[in-house]
Parts: sequence; structure tokens; C-alpha cells
Amino acid sequence: MNFDFSDDQKMLADHARQFLGETCTFDRLREFVASGEDYDRALWQQMVELGWPGLSVPEAAGGLGLGVLELCLLSEEIGRVLAPVPFFSTVCQAVPLLEQAGGEVADSLLARIAAGTCTVAVANPDQGHSLELGGNSCLDGALAPVAWLHCADVLLVTASETDGTAVLLSVELDQPGVQRERLAAQVLDSVSAWGAAHFDKALTTVLARGELVVALNHKLRLRSAVLLAFEQLGGADSACTMARDYSLERYTFGRQIGGYQAIKHKLADVRVAIELARSNAYYGAWALYTDSPELPRAAALARISGTETFTLAAEENLQVHGGIGYTWEANCHFYYQRARLLAVAVGGPDQWAAELLESIR
Amino acid sequence: MNPQELNDWLATARNWLQEQAPDYSGKARQGLTMDEDLALGRRWQALKSDAGYACITLPRQYDGGGGTEMQKILFEAEEKTWDLPNTYFGISLGMPVPMLLRYGSEAVKDELLPKAIRGEHIWCQLFSEPAAGSDLAALTLKATRDGDGWRLNGQKLWTSWAQYSDWGIIVTRSDPTVPKHAGLTYFYLDMKSEGVEVRTIRKLAGESEINEVFFNNVYVPDSQRMGEVGGGFKVAIETLMVERYAVSDEACGGISAERFIDIAARARIGSRPALEDGEVRRLLADTLVERQGLRSIHRRAMEAIAAGHEPGPEGAIRKLLIAKRRLLLGAAAMDLMGPDALLYDSSAAQSNDPVNAWIEAPPIRIAGGTDEILRNTIAEKVLRLPQDHRPDKGVPFNQL
Amino acid sequence: MDFNDSPEEAAFRQEVKTWLAENAQAYREPLPLGPGDIRIAEMGREWQKIKARGGYAAISWPTEAGGRGATPIEEVIFAEEENRYHVPVGPFVGIGVGLAVPTIRAHGTPEQIEQFAHPTLMGDILWCQLFSEPAAGSDLAAVRTRAQRDGDDWVVNGQKVWTSWAHTADWGILLARTDPEQVKHKGLTFFLLDMRTPGIDVRPIRSISGESEFNEVFLTDVRIPDRCRLGEVGAGWGVAMTTLMNERANSTGESLLLPDVSSLVRLARERGLAEKNQRELAALYAREQGLKYFQARQLTALSRGEQLGPMSVISKLVFANVLQDGSAMGLDMLGLEAAFLATEDHRVTRFQYGYQWAAALRIAGGADEILKNQIAERELGLPGEIRADKGVPFSQLPVGR
Ligand SMILES: Cc1cc2nc3c(=O)[nH]c(=O)nc-3n(C[C@H](O)[C@H](O)[C@H](O)COP(=O)(O)OP(=O)(O)OC[C@H]3O[C@@H](n4cnc5c(N)ncnc54)[C@H](O)[C@@H]3O)c2cc1C
Ligand SMILES: Cc1cc2nc3c(=O)[nH]c(=O)nc-3n(C[C@H](O)[C@H](O)[C@H](O)COP(=O)(O)OP(=O)(O)OC[C@H]3O[C@@H](n4cnc5c(N)ncnc54)[C@H](O)[C@@H]3O)c2cc1C
Repeated sequence: MNFDFSDDQKMLADHARQFLGETCTFDRLREFVASGEDYDRALWQQMVELGWPGLSVPEAAGGLGLGVLELCLLSEEIGRVLAPVPFFSTVCQAVPLLEQAGGEVADSLLARIAAGTCTVAVANPDQGHSLELGGNSCLDGALAPVAWLHCADVLLVTASETDGTAVLLSVELDQPGVQRERLAAQVLDSVSAWGAAHFDKALTTVLARGELVVALNHKLRLRSAVLLAFEQLGGADSACTMARDYSLERYTFGRQIGGYQAIKHKLADVRVAIELARSNAYYGAWALYTDSPELPRAAALARISGTETFTLAAEENLQVHGGIGYTWEANCHFYYQRARLLAVAVGGPDQWAAELLESIR
Repeated sequence: MNPQELNDWLATARNWLQEQAPDYSGKARQGLTMDEDLALGRRWQALKSDAGYACITLPRQYDGGGGTEMQKILFEAEEKTWDLPNTYFGISLGMPVPMLLRYGSEAVKDELLPKAIRGEHIWCQLFSEPAAGSDLAALTLKATRDGDGWRLNGQKLWTSWAQYSDWGIIVTRSDPTVPKHAGLTYFYLDMKSEGVEVRTIRKLAGESEINEVFFNNVYVPDSQRMGEVGGGFKVAIETLMVERYAVSDEACGGISAERFIDIAARARIGSRPALEDGEVRRLLADTLVERQGLRSIHRRAMEAIAAGHEPGPEGAIRKLLIAKRRLLLGAAAMDLMGPDALLYDSSAAQSNDPVNAWIEAPPIRIAGGTDEILRNTIAEKVLRLPQDHRPDKGVPFNQL
Repeated sequence: MDFNDSPEEAAFRQEVKTWLAENAQAYREPLPLGPGDIRIAEMGREWQKIKARGGYAAISWPTEAGGRGATPIEEVIFAEEENRYHVPVGPFVGIGVGLAVPTIRAHGTPEQIEQFAHPTLMGDILWCQLFSEPAAGSDLAAVRTRAQRDGDDWVVNGQKVWTSWAHTADWGILLARTDPEQVKHKGLTFFLLDMRTPGIDVRPIRSISGESEFNEVFLTDVRIPDRCRLGEVGAGWGVAMTTLMNERANSTGESLLLPDVSSLVRLARERGLAEKNQRELAALYAREQGLKYFQARQLTALSRGEQLGPMSVISKLVFANVLQDGSAMGLDMLGLEAAFLATEDHRVTRFQYGYQWAAALRIAGGADEILKNQIAERELGLPGEIRADKGVPFSQLPVGR
């Protein structure tokens, strides 16, 4: 047994943490929100220069050919700073989908992603949309809400053919048959952007069909759960650190608030939850990496711990800050809202709890 | 009032609400800016005052209702079933106004109380500062003698509705050479005085009610002092004890158990209505059990107040539980809504919309006594456990 | 990253399986003992001897100390395999092997190590831990049991309490006060006490489950030769810290006698209660499994020669709390059946035992609150507790009840 990341992997994470810590600051997040930009293009460009979009794209297609473990670590770092870029959908979801679907179109998309010239929105197959594919692979209908849909270059979505067969489609979004908009309603998490699309005879490419699509989507779900768990872990860890730092600075009744047991034990509880969530996330990473038959159980464990822990850390971070925590200036809200967003992305807690219990015989 | 009279009175009040409230609530408020909503709220206060339903326990001579604590509780419970623009007056009528009633001169009461009760004036509470929240007695805003009055210099923080306020109650440091609790003095003041500057703080979502207020040599006549020079802490505590009882809405402004049932009946978990789900039912059962318990505590406390006793520390229990419950119910309802919960309308009523109920829940665990401070209160006042170690005790403020 | 056995580990596991198949036959079925039967201590001694003969008594210890010189991971592999049998392992042996021996090895003279370490591993000496007193538990440095010098001996008077397995132990590790005029941490000295010395009175304490695994120990003019002092006079606190660190690292208390969350889920399913408690069950299971993988991470760190950080205390903290929550839930699901203690149904007794044992586990070896303080202070860097006892001579400290 060797249940840890390798030194090389940890070095990658350290570099990523340093880079993101310096570039993706809270000030930058606030500027991003104020700018009304779709996503932080400058930051994404820097990630492209670091080769991140192509991290797990095979070398033959122009990527770095690294594996899912590296992706886990990067997800944690991105979660830590809440980077407003379509990393999750493009890198964590689309790349493996395309790789597993295979074929010329998929390969060329992978090459574009690795080259940093393509961002992808992925419609969560559980979300209950029903799109039907007409003749000539043309798509009609509406789709919302999907993260980054209004600004991505390509959409991956599951639709059904007239006879009910499931198909995985890629849709170039910049075409006359697609009308898009950024959802005007306020989005819970102000540093992510969500879009809606309307398709009118939109041209698509079928990447996979039938049983394969079902299998791909199943795998996508489990994979998403594990990688999101790392994002949640990163968020929880930095929320906890932020609360700790504040509790050392703030004095009431002549003492640091971090000296009161109410605060000490609260933060110890958060820290314990993080340690357990980290351990479950690592197990999920291992199961994903080895394609273990344990994966469904491991993914559900990672997801449930991740959601619970990030929620706890975000709520209590705000609480430790007192009144200041409630202001836009204090940054606690970034975690508070993101925690809720991640809780309902890729299936809510009830669904994962049910699946987890299923796995216990 | 005997029970029969009380029942009749309530039936009349209910009818009155049914007739009047629709024009001031729900649809009537949709799409309004904060300014427009406030204007509507002022009209509602005036209407209530005319009918004797505003500040029911305050004397009729000041345009209050001249009624009993029981009537107030019953009316407010009824009123809470409508989504009315009352929030702007919560602090104003909850703390400063009862304090003015206790400490103001007859002439001042005649002049100011009706205006506040009718919603023409709003009062704010200028207690907290950047370095004085839970530890209120750590405040530093300076009051120095100037002839027949005082000059105020310094900063207040978190002052709800200061941007709309006409008057405020304020705690100041009048003597930094004595231990921190002993050097405070309490005033009321005109917010339009020269030297008062209000800056609104952006909060984590939605339009903001919280402000920073700066004081630059603001003059306050000594006649506006409430309590003794150096006795301000006692008056401040008196104010806060009233506040802990002012929260009378059992959903704490968030979604009620009934609203949650409504949402759960429409949502699905797997193939079944969420309301049939065991887990959801348990949460509901817990909520209802807690609510019933709190009702009893609340009623007992209110009766004590009505009988002229001081409110006890049980108020802390109530606030602690309802604030946390609001967070729980909001989050649970959002889980049921799935991705739909990601998009929300920050102007939707918090009592109706789970997302808003949830987003606006955290400050309730902080304002008016944080969860941790309330637990300390329960431990010390109810269970009689010793106080935490306090290095600031007995030390002159300027030597801390 | 690899969660599975490496080839060497797999080979070791196979070897252990084979050895157990030959040597642990007698433990295929649950032991014919009721809870609290003290005969288990003697059975434990026998099993320790068998293990020692097989070379499995001290797997991860260096060979020169009588160990096998293998990795901590192999230690765990052995425990995993051993636990497939109903072997009599527990504190009656563990206090010696897990607490006394590492402390003696760290602080003892060569003669002490010679005299105690090897025989303990061989099952020849069983130990108890004489630390806690009526007025010294979490605040261990408040011990009052007095040891006074008398020629080549020390004369000890006082009372210890909660001493597990004192009634079966041959020797005890003892913390006593040698100088009450010093501040409290400085006036302590650590001794090794032969439990057959005159003046020792061991009285069982009945616990909430009705069993008596721990005792009050009264010490009246008990003479300990100075050569049984471990470490310097006045250095007892530092020595005791070694013991406590080992206690916190070792104790999770997993056992076949206790329910795990999977068994709780199966019970819930059987009673049609799984769905109703879905979120809670899943959360409990995630904590239990998280702890399992946490321990795997710790082992990996150990096998790389890294020191374990302050978070290692969560093993006991999380285990005890999951056990309490899970057992309570199990008992709720069993309904009225669970109210009767004298039942034959193994499952019912497991949840009952789990519920009662969890209460002890949340206190013994560092109460929850103390462990949280440690995490807050050592891991998060928050301030220490306000201490009324700092710098004050022990004899002048205020006392409670
Ligand atoms: C929405 C909102 C509206 C408000 N409106 C007003 C208003 O109108 N007028 C006004 O004067 N104030 C107002 N306040 C301020 C409010 O009263 C303070 O925020 C509150 O008293 C807490 O103080 P603080 O924010 O300085 O937090 P702090 O006191 O700094 O507390 C920070 C954290 O430390 C904890 N803590 C502090 N001391 C202890 C202790 N001894 N033991 C354990 N834990 C401790 C707290 O519980 C909290 O978690 C408002 C606040 C909010 C959020
Ligand atoms: C089953 C069992 C077996 C045991 N076996 C042994 C043994 O073999 N040998 C031995 O020496 N001892 C043994 N003990 C004793 C054990 O080590 C003590 O019970 C433990 O250290 C707690 O001490 P206490 O019981 O005096 O509780 P106290 O220290 O009095 O604690 C009472 C409560 O106060 C809390 N508390 C104390 N201090 C603080 C603080 N600073 N901050 C916050 N909370 C605090 C505690 O967490 C606890 O909840 C055993 C105990 C049990 C239950």
C-alpha cells in the first residue's frame, strides 16, 4: 500500500497553489464579478500556457498525457481559490468523455482543447432535459441552466433519437442554429456563470450512440463526483484557514476569539471533517485511477463527505467572522455560496446517499 | 380583556387584515425598489396606527394601540402570514421606541413617538463598532463635554437602516479612564445633525440595509442623554433585552414549516413526491416539535413581561434555535429544488423563497447576539456556570 | 498511489494467513466467555506467547529490540488477518505491549529494558496503567499520590482510579508526586510497580454495563526500590507523555464485539428503515470509511519514516463518536428488544455493548474536549487554554471535588 500522491504530483500541486494563490486573489474575484465578464479569460489564458487544459489529453493529441490523479490535485487547488474558469467542464468532464468516445471529431476536439483554443460546456445528463435529435443530426429545443453554456465554444450533450436511442452529441455553439444567453436571474454563486441555449436545426456531430452513451454518462457522473469532491475539499480547507487566521486577529473581552473554546472546538470540528473528507477523496481518486469496481462506492463517499464538509466549513467561517462575515468585502460569501452550488451540482445529497447505501451489502 | 373579548378582538383584526393587507403585500410588492417598498411600508404603518394595530402595547396617546402583550402577539402572528413591508421598522419600533418611552421627556415623547409609530420616522440603533460587537463595552466612539451638550467623534458599524433613519440611539465612551463598562453614556440623536455621514455596506447578496456611520464633531444636547453619565452600559443592556424578545416570527423571517411542506409536496426524490420521503418527514417532524416547544417558552416569557417582570435569558434559547432552523430548512428546500436552486431572484420574499431564506440566514446567527454569545448566556444565566476568563475586568479602558 | 498490497505486502499477508490457519484454529468461534470475564486476560497471555513464538509479537520493532524489523503496514496486515479470528486481544495485553514497553524503551536503563521489554512481548508480564486519580484525569499532572524517599526505596501512599485490568496485571506503570513544592508538572516521578507488593489494594469498580474491567487501587506504604524508577526524579511528566502519545496513537478500539456502520445499514434495511434514515446513515458511513482511509494515509506516512502530526488523535475521537451515534441508532431501530440486556441475539448485544463502550471511549485516553483542544492548538495554532495553575507550587493550588 502506498496511499498518497507521489512527490512529483505534490510538486505539481504546490506549483499550482503558488500560481493560483498569487493570481486568483479575492480582489480578482471581485473585479471579475464587477466586470460582468463571462469567465476570467486572462486567467484561463495563463492556465493554457501552463498546459492545464491538456493536462490529461494524450501526448499524441498535443496534451501532457498526465492522469486523473494530477487532475484531482489541480481540482483541489482550483477549489481553494474558486477560480472562475470553465476548468471542470472542459478538463474534468469533456476530455475523458471525448477520449472514451473516440473518433475523428473527438480527437480534433481534444487537440483544440489541448491547444487552448476551445472551452466546453457539458450538460449534466441527470438534469432531466429532453432533447430530441432530428434528421441530418439536427437538434431542436431548449437547454438551461448549464454552466458556461453562453460562452463556451462547444457543448457536449446527451439527446435521444426519434426511436429513443441515446446519443452523445458535440455541438459547435457558434453557429446560426444556436441562440444563447447568459441567464439574467442572479446566480447563487456570483463567480460562476450559467447560460441557456435555444437550438433551431442546430448542426451536431454524434460522438457515441446507444449503450455506449449510457456507460459514458455513468462513468462521467462518478468521475465528476470525485473531482468535485477535491474542489470541495480545497474550498473547505481554505475557508477553515481563513477562519483560523481571523480568530487569531480578532479580540473580544480582552482575548483573541480563537482562545475561546466555543471557537476552538468549532474549528477543531471543521478540521476533523476536512481530514475525513480528504481521506475519502483520496480513496475516490485511487478508485478512479485504477478503474476499480469500488468506484461507485468510493465516488459516493467522496461526494457525501465533500458536500458535508464544505458546507460546514463555509457556514462556520462566516460565523466566526461575526458581522463582517456578512459583507461583500469580507469574502466569506464566496465560500458560503459556492458550497451550496457544489452541493446540488451533479446530483444532490439525497441521491448520493441512496447510492452509497446501495453499495453496502 | 377576557378570553371571549380577546377572541372577538382577534376576529375583527383578522378581518381587517384580510381587507387591507392584500394592497400592501405579495403581488403589490413585486418588482418594487427598496425606496418604493419603504414608501409602501410607511403607508402600511400609518394605516395600522389609525386602526390601533401599530405598536399595540404602546399608549393610544402616541398613536399606539393601547393594548396588551397578548393582543400584540396574536396580531403579529396573524400579520406574519402576510408578506408585508415591515422589515424597515423592525429595529426602530423594537428597541429605540420602547426606550424613548421609558427615558424621554413628555414633550419629546409627544413629538417623536407618533411619528415613529406611524412610520414617518425611522430610528436606528448605533451600538456596534469595528472593534466592538459581541464585546459591546469595548466601543471607542468618543463623547466629550461641550457646554450644555456633548461632541461625538468616531465610527459606528453595521447600523441597520441608517440610510433611512431620522433618529438614532447611540452608546458612546464618555470616560476612558475608568473600567470599560463604567465609562459609557447613552443618547438619542438626530441623524440629520451636522457631521453625521452614512455609508451603505455591500453585503453578500441583494440590496443592503447595513451601514457605516461616521461622526465628525456631532453636537448632541445633554437633554438627549438617556440614563446617567457613565450609566450607558446598563441602558444598552436594557435595550438588548428588549431586542431579544422583538423577534417574534417563528420562521425567523425564512420559510415556515408550512411553506417547506408545500415545496416538498411538489419536489420529487427518485420517483416519489419528496413529502413521502422518510428523511424529509423527519426533518419536518423535528421542526414542528421544536416550534411547539418554542411557542410554549415564548408565551411564558411574554406573559411574564406582560405581568411586569423583566424578560429572562430564555429569549436566548429562542433566537439560537430559530436562526439555525431557518438555515436548515432553507438548505433542505434547496436540496429538493436541485439545480433550480442555482438561479434566484434576490427581491423575492424571504418567507417564500428558500434560496433567499438561506442566503440571508447567516446574519441572524450573528446580529443581536451571536450563537456563541447566546450559548454563553444560557450557560451562565440559566445553568449558572462560571463566566469565561476576562482579562479586561476592572482595568481602565485606556490601559487595555 | 496504490491502495492495495504491494507484492511484498501480499506475500506477507499470505504468510500470515497460513500461519494463522495453523495456529489460531482454537479461535474460529467466539470465545466461551461472557463480557467482563477476567479469564480473557490469561487467554490473552497465551495467545501473546503463541504470537511471540511465531515471530509476530512485535512486527514493526527493530530486530535488536526483539522485533521483526518489518513495516507498520505489515503490523496492520497482521492485525487485519488476526481479527478474522476471535483471538483474545485487548488492553489486558495491550497496555503492556503498546504503552509500557515503548515507554520503558524510550526512558529505561539497559537493565530495565532487559528485565521488562522482552518478557512483556513474550506474554510473561501483563501490565496496568496507574495514572488517573479521583482528582487527576484530563488534568493528569494534578496527581496527588505521594512517593517519598526512604533509603534505597520509595514509599508510596495514595489512590489511583479507573485502572483497567489492575486485577490481572503483574506490574503497573505508576505516576506519583515526589515534590509538592514544585509547580505541578515538575514534581512528578515515574515508577514501575510490582503489583504483588504488600500494601496494594485493588477494588473493582462496576461500570455502566455492569462489568468490572477497571478498578480503584489504594496504595498504603507501598515500597518501590529505586531501581524501579523510570527516568530521573522529577522527570515523570515527560516519561508519562511518551505513554500518552502511544496511547492516543494506538487506541481506536475496533473489535469484533462492536457494531460497524455496515451492520447498522443492514439492520435498517431489514426493518424497512433505511430510506427514512438515508442521509444520516450515509453521513455516518462516510465518517467511518473516511477514518479507515485516514488511517491508511497515516500508515503510508509512517512507512515513509514521517512523524505523525497532531491530527493522529482523530482516530479515537472519530471512532468513539461514530460508535456512539451508530449504536444509538441501531438500538432505536431494534426497538423494545434492545431494552433487554440478557439476550442471546448477538446483534442486539453488539449494539448494546457498542453504546455503552462508546461512552467510556469518549473519555478514556483523552476526552473528546481535550482532543479538540489539542487539534485547535497544535494543528490550527490557536491559543492555549487560560491556566490558573501556571507557575504555582502544587501545594498551593485550589482544589475542587
Ligand atoms: C445584518 C446585521 C445587522 C446589524 N444591525 C445592527 C444595528 O442596527 N445596530 C448595531 O449596533 N449593530 C448591528 N449589528 C451588529 C451586531 O450586533 C454584531 O455583528 C454582533 O454583536 C457581533 O459582533 P461582531 O460582528 O463584532 O462579531 P465579534 O464579536 O467579533 O464575533 C466574532 C466571532 O467570535 C465569537 N465570539 C466573540 N466573543 C466570544 C466569546 N466570549 N466566546 C465565544 N465566542 C465569541 C462570536 O460568536 C463570533 O462567532 C448588525 C449585524 C448584522 C450582521
Ligand atoms: C473505560 C476506562 C478505562 C480507563 N482505564 C484507565 C487506566 O487503565 N489507567 C488510567 O490511569 N486511567 C484510565 N482511565 C481514566 C481516563 O484516562 C480518564 O477518565 C480521563 O483521562 C478523563 O479524566 P476524568 O475521568 O477525571 O475526567 P475529567 O478530567 O474530570 O473530565 C470531566 C469532563 O470535563 C472535560 N474537561 C476537562 N478538562 C477540560 C478542559 N480543559 N477543557 C474542556 N473540557 C475539559 C472532559 O472532557 C470531561 O468531559 C480509564 C477511563 C475509562 C473510562
